[in-house]
Amino acid sequence: MDSTKLMKLREESGIKIIEIKTDLSSYAASDLRKVLEGLLAEKVEKVVVNLSQVSHINSTAVGALVGVAKRLRQSGGDLKICALADNLTRTFNLIGASSVVEIYESENSALAAF
Amino acid sequence: MAQADIQLQIPSAAFYIEPVRAFVGNLAQSLGFSRKRVADIQLVLDEICSNAVHHGSADPTVGVKLCMRIDTHALEILVRDTGARHAGEKNWLTHDRLSEIEMNRSPSNERGHGIFIVKSLSDMHEMRPNEAGGTDVRVVFRFSKPRDVEI
Repeated sequence: MDSTKLMKLREESGIKIIEIKTDLSSYAASDLRKVLEGLLAEKVEKVVVNLSQVSHINSTAVGALVGVAKRLRQSGGDLKICALADNLTRTFNLIGASSVVEIYESENSALAAF
Repeated sequence: MAQADIQLQIPSAAFYIEPVRAFVGNLAQSLGFSRKRVADIQLVLDEICSNAVHHGSADPTVGVKLCMRIDTHALEILVRDTGARHAGEKNWLTHDRLSEIEMNRSPSNERGHGIFIVKSLSDMHEMRPNEAGGTDVRVVFRFSKPRDVEI
């Protein structure tokens, strides 16, 4: 199965939004990395990842988000995350990734932060 | 002491981790763990299985074994991989490597968080080489109060 089909891309005011509609365990995390690498290859600078429909995320997926956020910042852009369920917030906090990636309550607030 | 054992074997491929995570989530929920604790158990299982699949065996058909034991006090999960990813290598989780991973872990790193999560969220954990040349990871999640074992 190709879980990239469950990662919908759209654009608003020059910001790419990835809406993820699958849980992010090891297999889907690998696909998330491919999607993010694709955006980097397209020279996209501003990305919002909407996790409102995700109920599980593992450290591989968190690592992919952290890595791409850092790379985007080097070129003046950023990756912001929004709409995390409580257990996802706990995972980000446990790893410490919430101090590296900006997290917002809603997609609108993440978009407004750019 | 009454106990129930469940054994699973999956191909050594990431695709099979998600169905196992779902199964263990349902099991933990049936055993009365809180919703928060079920999410912890699923995350720990995901991290262990990911390590077993990505570092444990080059041959997907060799597989990863999971043994779950339920007794009156806890759910115990053992994940066993069968050896090094590359011929001639030692098992992936040597003492030196574990120390190195722990020493170098940083929130801004993309990798190296899995074992930290396992240690942080389980009530007990144990990692050691097995006879097959791979790694055994055993984790325990205790019930908030003793419960009967369905057999």
